Amino acid sequence: MTLGGSVGRVAFQELADSIRSRRVWVFLLLYLAGSVAATILFLNILQKMETHLVSTLGLNPATEPGGVTATLWKSDAFQRMMTQLIGDRKLAESLLSIPPLALFWGWLCLTFGPLLVTLTASVRIAEEVWSGSVRFVLFRTTRLSWVTGKFCGQAVQLLLAFLLSALGAWVVGAVRMNSFEPLPTALALLAFALKAWVYGLAYLGLATAVSQMFASPNVASALSFGVLMVVGMIHGAATFVKAAAWRPTLEILDLLTPAGHRLDLWRPDAAHLVPALVYLVVLAFGYLFLGHLVFRRRDL
Amino acid sequence: MIALEFQGVTKRYGRRTALNGLDLSVPTGSIFGLVGSNGAGKTTAMALAVGLLRMDSGTIDVLGQGAFHPGRQGGRVTLLPQDSRLPLHARVDELLGYYGRLQGVAGPRLKRAVDEVLDWTHLQDRRNSPVRTLSHGMMRRVTIAQAFLGEPDLILLDEPLSGLDPREQVRIREMLRLRRGRQTLLISSHNLHELEALCDQVAFVDLGRRIRQDSLEAVIRRRHSLVMVLDGPMTLSGAALTEAVPGVQWTYDSARSELTLVFPDEWTPARVNGTILPLLVTAGCGILEVRSGSGLEREYLNATAPPPIHGGFQ
Repeated sequence: MTLGGSVGRVAFQELADSIRSRRVWVFLLLYLAGSVAATILFLNILQKMETHLVSTLGLNPATEPGGVTATLWKSDAFQRMMTQLIGDRKLAESLLSIPPLALFWGWLCLTFGPLLVTLTASVRIAEEVWSGSVRFVLFRTTRLSWVTGKFCGQAVQLLLAFLLSALGAWVVGAVRMNSFEPLPTALALLAFALKAWVYGLAYLGLATAVSQMFASPNVASALSFGVLMVVGMIHGAATFVKAAAWRPTLEILDLLTPAGHRLDLWRPDAAHLVPALVYLVVLAFGYLFLGHLVFRRRDL
Repeated sequence: MIALEFQGVTKRYGRRTALNGLDLSVPTGSIFGLVGSNGAGKTTAMALAVGLLRMDSGTIDVLGQGAFHPGRQGGRVTLLPQDSRLPLHARVDELLGYYGRLQGVAGPRLKRAVDEVLDWTHLQDRRNSPVRTLSHGMMRRVTIAQAFLGEPDLILLDEPLSGLDPREQVRIREMLRLRRGRQTLLISSHNLHELEALCDQVAFVDLGRRIRQDSLEAVIRRRHSLVMVLDGPMTLSGAALTEAVPGVQWTYDSARSELTLVFPDEWTPARVNGTILPLLVTAGCGILEVRSGSGLEREYLNATAPPPIHGGFQ
């Protein structure tokens, strides 16, 4: 069987096993519930802010959130102010063309997505090594195809999770928001879902790499969170440390982490967005194969 | 033709040496028994053969194609691991289908292969059941079934009959016996009676080394040895035995009341029986059982440690 064929078989089995074990339902529910709850919270806060603003200006309060924000969002004065604040007219125009709900949801996914990916993906390979079930498979196919298949199976689950989560946010917006724009919001959510998925793939690669190195699911899980923290610290240092001596090293290190490409996902132009997406996919497979360098030599 | 060959294979787990220059040669089409105590290195040897473990030194040749790689010998070699757990949520037939597809069996051939292994492991009625709902013995039968999927050339079985009820043990032992000549089976087991009933070749492994490898006939000397279990003490003199069967070597284990006779080539078991049994009866010895061959268990114990002395005479 070809490498592609084996990868496909393993990926399909990973999906089927997730469905049978109800793991995928928990995973999807987690994303959906998180998205719905956060969107409701966002709209409540937005409504309070709008009520406060309206009462300050002495206007009639709105019963649903979003109306004031939408008006403000589209006003020339606000757009000029945002352009000056951001310092990049194209970026400002692009961000202001996105419905606020989608902007919030994009931020939500890019911030918390990695955490959820790490939570669910870091144990998958380690637990099969732990239980010994890997011993029924790895004389039938190569370790590389098996690991890549596992990764692909989880990548599909992740895409479904982001799409479902986007749907949840859209439904909450449609029900709760004043002046809700269904199509632009749906398209913006879809675009963010795809960007968040590619961003999540890099973290999936990282978690899968760690999972390949340890036989204990608990150790793999704990270390994945450790790695997540290290990634965060590198990005934080690259953002805030200004010492010239450290800048080149920190910038290179930052580019080797997914977080280093996050900002580019907000940019509308292909010149920034496409390289960022490509980088993230390369990072995902790079991490995966780094883990494989250990896994291929491990006793199972 | 050799199906599996180990040459000077060494495997260490940290400071502990599991295999210490193991040499092994498994002939094609044979049912080969691997005998050894706990920790002798049998499971390690099997895992090394299919690439689940990495050896420290030595060479392993699988089916004459060099070291095992799924891309080369995948689908032609399978393993029944000892203590590994199947994925619990999968259904039996789906799981076997998955394993079959991975080893390159597809379409109608896959369906036939799954049906066949489910038939002979008596699992047809549970084919749609999730693995987690099966009893321990049934799960064991699924692991046996996966090892025989797609008619592999070389099958490594680590304690294949453990955990099965007596009826299933007998049935599966018979099914294994039918594979002789068609496939090569390497079986590791602590049940030496089971191996004696199945194998045509055996190797004794101790402390990670092979201490003996030969045909079962040669090891237990089935054609040149008899064991007589007596109903009481041995009252026939040694001189009478050697006079009746010149060249015979014999021992008497008083704790087991077993008289073991090893005789020269010109004697057959039937002829020795015909000569010795009347003498024993005349001497007042009751005879409970007569069997040919010294027994794998006895030979293994003799090979790995000095035999206990029970006060018999020689």
